[in-house]
Amino acid sequence: MNGDFLALLPKTAFPQFQASDSAPVPLQATTVFAFHCAEGVVIAGDHRATAGNIVFSDKTEKILELDSHSLMAIAGVPATAFEMARTLQTTFEYYRRSQLQPMSLPAKTRALSKLLRDNLPATIQGYGIVSPIFAGVEIADPDARPVIYFYDPIGAQFEAAAYAGSGSGSGSIKSVLYHLEKWGQPKPAEMPLAQAATLANRLLMTAAEFDTATGGVHPDRHLFATIKLVSREGIRSVSQEEQEQFWKETTQ
Amino acid sequence: MTEEPYRWLEAIGNRREYIRDQLKGGTPVFAISRPEGILLLGVGQGQSKVFEIYDHHAFAALGHPVDIEKFRQSAIEAAHVEGFNRSARDVTLRRLISFALSTSLKNSFEQIFSPPLMVESIFAELGGTPAQDVLVRVHYDGNHHYETSGVLVAHHNAKPEEEAAGWLRKSLKPEDSLAQAASLCLAAWKAMSEEKPFADLTAPGQTLQQIEGKTVEAALLDRRLPGPVHYRKIDLARLAN
Repeated sequence: MNGDFLALLPKTAFPQFQASDSAPVPLQATTVFAFHCAEGVVIAGDHRATAGNIVFSDKTEKILELDSHSLMAIAGVPATAFEMARTLQTTFEYYRRSQLQPMSLPAKTRALSKLLRDNLPATIQGYGIVSPIFAGVEIADPDARPVIYFYDPIGAQFEAAAYAGSGSGSGSIKSVLYHLEKWGQPKPAEMPLAQAATLANRLLMTAAEFDTATGGVHPDRHLFATIKLVSREGIRSVSQEEQEQFWKETTQ
Repeated sequence: MTEEPYRWLEAIGNRREYIRDQLKGGTPVFAISRPEGILLLGVGQGQSKVFEIYDHHAFAALGHPVDIEKFRQSAIEAAHVEGFNRSARDVTLRRLISFALSTSLKNSFEQIFSPPLMVESIFAELGGTPAQDVLVRVHYDGNHHYETSGVLVAHHNAKPEEEAAGWLRKSLKPEDSLAQAASLCLAAWKAMSEEKPFADLTAPGQTLQQIEGKTVEAALLDRRLPGPVHYRKIDLARLAN
């Protein structure tokens, strides 16, 4: 009766991997990042999932909505990450419906930390590493601003003041975001959504230039990133058509 | 004493009488399937009578608040475990009620040495169209029936319940707005609580939005919402404008 969904499940929330030396190369999903813009938090990712040097899929959705006001961007092993997202979705909704109040933001981030820590054996084996980014807004507080958290693979949680990135291509993205936050005119935090969406696409194109595991964003072929905006009003998905429109408006 | 069949029947009969007597303080709840979604409505004093169960499921009940709460928790638990293990689409009222809820109600009713669950309720499942909506009336003893007319009323007394549902079916027009549908429910609610006959009841001239001294609680399983969650509370005053 305490609103804990995991307590209802018979076993651990998601399966643990036991990898042997001959196990195949695990699937990896990269690259995701989030930054503050004028309207809220933009969270974006490419569409590529790789296994070693093999491109496994170029249509992966890595930005997963957890409830009306929070989402998770996944980098790492998708099998574990998707299961974590699914567990969190049910956990948040179960709590909200059974307790008749939304789960607080600290409790949500704590729930994600706990899932990551529970995944420790797979993380140590190197077979189930997930290092996600979480973005959300406190539903109960009408003045709350959206926040970004990033995690290490065993569950330590850090709040990002301006931006966070995860996955193999995030190094170049974080460098560019650092540069823009410090010397940009305007800074990403001041950009309206249209400009921020174009920046997100350009960042992924930059990452793809140096990282083979990042890909699938080609504005000239009408292929854009997955972009979502978190604000006080909730989550807004920026569709491919909208991104194309924004791209045209802001790059001319 | 329950070893003797006659005594057992007598005990069950007494129990039925006791539950009916305890439920007498309760006031009716309504569910109406409309093009916009399923409207659920209850009138109370502070405590809730209309609840969200799952993405496309809702529940309205009268009875002992502790029992309503207990029953609601079991429904939510069963729905979420099923939705998590399979998918949201696999959470259907038919399965929830047949396998999880009505059996536990029947058990709690028939185990005569433990307290019964005193709940009269309505479950609603939103479909793609009003014809695909599912409304179920669940009684305290686990007995239940599926309603196909799109209008369902739950009350502690079967006769006015049937009359109210009949009157609502007759009075509701296809072109009625949600505010008008809610107003008809409130008119029926008033007639039932004042024990007036439905034969000479007419639809209210002005749209009813509240009942004096009471809290009107309305919710909609909204067919038009794009995301997975369809339940939202509605404010009748805002709906009318």
